Amino acid sequence: MIRTEELLLNVGPQHPSTHGVFRLIVKLDGEIITEVQPVIGYLHRGTEKLAESLNYTQIIPYTDRMDYVSAMTNNYVFVHAVETLMQIEVPERAEFLRLIVMELQRIASHLVWWGTYLLDIGALSPFLFAFSDRERILELFNELCGARLTYNYMRVGGVKWDAPEGWIDKVKRFVKDMRLRLDEYHNLVTGNEIFISRVKGIGQYDAETAIQYGLSGANLRCTGVKWDLRKDEPYSLYSRFEFDVVTGQNGDCYDRYLCRVGEIEQSLRILEQALEQFPESGPTMGKVPRVIRPPAGEVYVRIESPRGEIGCHLVSKGKAEPFRVKFRRPSFVNLQILPKLLVGQNISDLVAILGGVDIVLGEVDC
Amino acid sequence: MKGLVKGLGVTLKALGTKKVTHKYPDVPINMPDRFRGIQHVREDKCIVCFQCQRICPTECINLTGKPNPDPEKKGKVLATFDINFEICILCDLCTEVCPTEAIVMTRNFELAAYSRDELLKDLQWLGDNNENVRQESSNFGAPRGGGKAE
Amino acid sequence: MDPAKLMEQPITWSSAGVYTLMAIGLLLVVIVFVTYAIYFERKVIGWMQFRKGPNRTGPLGLLQTVADVAKLLLKEDTIPAKADRGLFIMAPVLAFVPSFTVLAVIPYTQNLPFADLNVGFLYYVALSGVTTIAIIIGAWSSNNKLALLGGMRSAAQMISYEVPLVISVVGTVMMAGSLNLRDIVEAQAGYFWNWNFLPQIVGFAVFIVAAISELNRTPFDLPEAESELVSGYHVEYSGFRFAFFMLAEYVYVWAIASLTTLLFLGGWHPPFPQLSFIPGIVWFLLKFAFVVFCLFWIRATFPRMRVDQLMGMAWKVLLPLSILNIFITAVLIELGIGG
Repeated sequence: MIRTEELLLNVGPQHPSTHGVFRLIVKLDGEIITEVQPVIGYLHRGTEKLAESLNYTQIIPYTDRMDYVSAMTNNYVFVHAVETLMQIEVPERAEFLRLIVMELQRIASHLVWWGTYLLDIGALSPFLFAFSDRERILELFNELCGARLTYNYMRVGGVKWDAPEGWIDKVKRFVKDMRLRLDEYHNLVTGNEIFISRVKGIGQYDAETAIQYGLSGANLRCTGVKWDLRKDEPYSLYSRFEFDVVTGQNGDCYDRYLCRVGEIEQSLRILEQALEQFPESGPTMGKVPRVIRPPAGEVYVRIESPRGEIGCHLVSKGKAEPFRVKFRRPSFVNLQILPKLLVGQNISDLVAILGGVDIVLGEVDC
Repeated sequence: MKGLVKGLGVTLKALGTKKVTHKYPDVPINMPDRFRGIQHVREDKCIVCFQCQRICPTECINLTGKPNPDPEKKGKVLATFDINFEICILCDLCTEVCPTEAIVMTRNFELAAYSRDELLKDLQWLGDNNENVRQESSNFGAPRGGGKAE
Repeated sequence: MDPAKLMEQPITWSSAGVYTLMAIGLLLVVIVFVTYAIYFERKVIGWMQFRKGPNRTGPLGLLQTVADVAKLLLKEDTIPAKADRGLFIMAPVLAFVPSFTVLAVIPYTQNLPFADLNVGFLYYVALSGVTTIAIIIGAWSSNNKLALLGGMRSAAQMISYEVPLVISVVGTVMMAGSLNLRDIVEAQAGYFWNWNFLPQIVGFAVFIVAAISELNRTPFDLPEAESELVSGYHVEYSGFRFAFFMLAEYVYVWAIASLTTLLFLGGWHPPFPQLSFIPGIVWFLLKFAFVVFCLFWIRATFPRMRVDQLMGMAWKVLLPLSILNIFITAVLIELGIGG
């Protein structure tokens, strides 16, 4: 009987494939993984504690920095929570602007995921294709609110800036170009036999497991569960638009890939309809008091961010600062399935599975 | 096999397209008007209301006032005004609440320095930073006031 | 002085001098090729990704590789504390010496052979195996579990793919009737449909796949992959020792591209005999450049294969295909078609 040793491997905080400062302590038996222990907290910045001493408008720049790849949805979940607590009505033009930027943000976030996932698997070019398209989205955001990554765009009761001259036409042109580029992406990657052999059948789980672990977003929909907060608990103006919820069947990495790329297409559909129905004029800010002081109470709202379900639990005691803000971050919850998924797999599949879960460490650590 | 060939076609087509890179820093970048760059402070417009200091989420603005040297005018004028760019996140809230638009954003963003001391900018520097000033008003639709309760 | 005729005479001091000068000339040309192959790889891959490659060091970025090599030379020469010093120092040298020695048998035109061995191809195959030993030595002497694992994987990959590489060429050898590389090219004279890639299309396909794997290039570049866990056999090498491994890889690119041109693409023959006023060396260089471009193109497009899929493909797909190729070629030659 050959006595083999168990090897302890540290996929350290600094690693090209862990999408941030994330550490995995992996026990290997030859090539098979026997145990995985994720270690997080390297990017903890204390956002929720800081929020207890800042007033509501001051917290908004901090929410940008949690999930920095999709900052608009973070802005929205917080602002929506305060508006729900204070029962403020947001004017229609502001709501349209919010929806348009959130869908553009979804496309940008999925492009980042697509490019980096393929880079981990070894293809060099899709990363640059994705980033050149994402650059166009960031330029649009630059013109709209003055920043490319941390927007600080939404305010309690509306949005800060109105769309400048010609911005809506630029977005329309972008949507048209993006459809053509999406076809090219499918040609480059989706049918590629090497790629399919790397991701098909890897990291599989069923719907039961997904629901028990509290997964959301593409991680849940790849198993066939048709759950999308934009359709099942509509917020903002999503109930006005027609779009499909993309689901997979097998719950493996390839289905997660197809779900996310399908979501880009559905976002383009929503954008086309929203740009069509965009109101000609209107206020961008609702009736908001000078000092934002929600009545005492608590509220929990949740929306569909590109990574899954992001929620904000707000407890207010009637002051200008919140008593407690808690964010339910999707990446933090989605990570919990990693130890179960990785046990028994080949070590070369670790990168493919980790990439397929789509985590952003700013969100995991908050 | 077919997928592989299609992929090769995409990269070959990309070989002939126009390149999207920008020749920075040889060619400067023109940011749009609303870009949140380094602030510019106009000393004569400031009424020393302390709103910007109160709204700043990272507490990087520090200012002091002194009584107006002109005995006929009332109010205060600026004595010192410091922004600590080590912690300023260029979030634009200070320009949003300024009632006189004394502090505005510019489109400059190149602030790299060799030592940390150089990142504490004073009133003189912020007054001289007057190129590429934002034209559009930042108070568009933002809630007025919004400072801390106490 | 025609080198081909020189070789048929008894050796004198002057002819030995001519050989030495020609050898040095070839080595210089190869080093210039390596420098600009690295440059062009980065440029071509950049163009395929909507960006320009290096363009700041020197005019058009032409001095980029020079700058990189200078950087590697100036780095500190570290040897891990518990490593086996002798083997550690010997491994890079052992890796790149065979890559230069195989260049001896490659003829560039009818009149420019270097060593006209009758077993030319066999010489190449024998020497390129020595590099595999060098990889194992490098991995072992690094005293690093991960390097050893990576080195074992890459050695397994290179050995497994050498078998289909050699067997796929046997078809062309049978058609030409000799292992001498010049004779194999001569047997492809005529129009471009005479070139071996069409009659031997299965052999050509197997050869291309096996050659890319021998070179450790994408999609088979698991030994060099940095985004995978196991960092590969040269993780402990830095500075100029690392440069030796890279140099060996790019000289093998030259060797494999030349072999592909000679064995399957007709060597120095023009596609139509009417174009033979253009000298053969130009045709050789054009085809060689095309093969190298295809290697870059494939690298820009495809993701990486997993190691078990790689080994599965070598033994379960490429080997049976190449053996099938031999049988079909033998049958067809017997029946008088082709050859």
